[in-house]
Amino acid sequence: MSMPDINVPRRLLLGSTAAAAAGGLLTGFGAGGLRSAEAAAPAQEAPGGPGFRLFYGQYQSGIIDAQQEHAVFAGWDVLWRDGSRKQQLQALLQMLTDDAARLMGGRGVLADTEPEMAQPPSELTLTVGLGQSLLDVAGRGRIAQLPAFAGDELEEQYQQSDLLIQFCSQDPTVLHHAVRAVAKNLRGLTKQRFAQAGFMRPMPGRETFRNLFGQVDGVNNPKDQLREQAVFGDGQDSWIANGTTLALRRFEMDLDRWDEVDATGRDFALGRRQADGSPLSGTSVDDPVDLAAVNELGLPSIAANAHVALAKPSHAAESIHRRGYNFDDGQHAGLLFASYQRDPATSFIPVQQRLAAADALNTWLKPVGSALYAILPGISEGGYLGEQLFS
Amino acid sequence: MKTRTMTALLLSFGLLLTGCAQNAPVASQSSKAPLSAEQNSTQAQGLVASDTWAKAAESGMSAAFGTLHNSADFPLELRKVSNAQGDEIQLHEMTGSGQNMSMKQLEGDLVIAPGADAVLAPGGNHLMFMDLKKPLVAAQTTTLTLEFSDGSSTDIDFAIRNFDGAKENYDEHAGH
Repeated sequence: MSMPDINVPRRLLLGSTAAAAAGGLLTGFGAGGLRSAEAAAPAQEAPGGPGFRLFYGQYQSGIIDAQQEHAVFAGWDVLWRDGSRKQQLQALLQMLTDDAARLMGGRGVLADTEPEMAQPPSELTLTVGLGQSLLDVAGRGRIAQLPAFAGDELEEQYQQSDLLIQFCSQDPTVLHHAVRAVAKNLRGLTKQRFAQAGFMRPMPGRETFRNLFGQVDGVNNPKDQLREQAVFGDGQDSWIANGTTLALRRFEMDLDRWDEVDATGRDFALGRRQADGSPLSGTSVDDPVDLAAVNELGLPSIAANAHVALAKPSHAAESIHRRGYNFDDGQHAGLLFASYQRDPATSFIPVQQRLAAADALNTWLKPVGSALYAILPGISEGGYLGEQLFS
Repeated sequence: MKTRTMTALLLSFGLLLTGCAQNAPVASQSSKAPLSAEQNSTQAQGLVASDTWAKAAESGMSAAFGTLHNSADFPLELRKVSNAQGDEIQLHEMTGSGQNMSMKQLEGDLVIAPGADAVLAPGGNHLMFMDLKKPLVAAQTTTLTLEFSDGSSTDIDFAIRNFDGAKENYDEHAGH
């Protein structure tokens, strides 16, 4: 529905507190003693305030906004019933929209047996993406799939799923509840392929974090407007306006063999110093990666097969926004690589091909998961995720 | 002039309530938003339904839940619930306590006092499908017609969700 054209503070338009507020206002004007269950709930922070990420907006949350410390990337394959698959997909997306709006607003989903666990949402975001298989069902959108990369040792459970939801929060308990609540609603409609949990902690005052090799990760991520351009397009849309793509790769790290490598060897393989993340061509973490720089022997400071040399975008169109997480599932540890980009064919895929072919770090990395998703555009209140595919 | 401003505000907040109480695109649709108490001429117009959902089931029995709010200044007396398939749908209340609760058909109307909520929830009062003619498929919605003692009625959408609870026992002495 369209919102009335009056100057209501934006935070009043969101979530349960809004209903409570509107209920209270109505009481003042008319039906005396009106009281909704929500109005009676104890006062809480309004969605839009600290601790809440907005569900409604131009873009989905959880993409270009600050990274939360905990994440679960959950993938499902759809089990189709007889009848129109397009209608089933539409109903599924409507349900997920309802789930995400409630959970991000600090409320349980419908039929939730533990709605208390949704509070406080602790910056919870749910970010919904579709594999090409579901775009085909909708009959709109083309992102294709990731190609096979050199060195891939993919495991069935971590490969492409139909549906993906990236759940992120600062609180792992809230996160667990959100994943479980959504998974319960999806039972019977889908088969869960994976739930890949990850963690990270931004370094003080920065968006970088230590990966499990001990390296400073995320140094050269585009920021602000450049990030928005890399993710959603600069005059040219992604597969859909205000949507983007997510490349999700699971890299196991051979930490036992990494232990055998001394500091010099480690820095050489990455092209940055483990100690502070500074490039071998400079002295500070913020110095540019200069592939032309030479050392006192006249040799390149950064080897041609160092990770940063190959990962460096060769031009602006190759820019990607990384939003990855560490993982340790008890059996294996590594990096849950997640990157958002407008067009993977001109950015993530060529960069990953270069890395897969020659990255010095490959010695200690084993890619076991690989998938690509079409991340849906944001919506305004009253709409549902993916609605643009059905209009 | 002042009166007109007030009317605009009332209208605005009425709409706001309708939109926000759901915070959901399809979960439920309330009847028309109340403009003010005086303008609720029928009981159906006084109803504001929110968080309405039904338990997914392939066949047999199922149940529907939600919050039915009375925004009118007179009582709402919910008399009958029906759907397009012609399912038998009863208003049930829970009796007893603890592990020994059982349900039985409500005698008479479900009465909602002015300004009050009737909360239909697992383990409490609920709407009961006695023998589904069509499956209730998770993620889809089902529409129920709620009819009141004044003859007015309104259609409410119930989002269908998986649910493992709501396995209430029948009270064998209640005539089922």
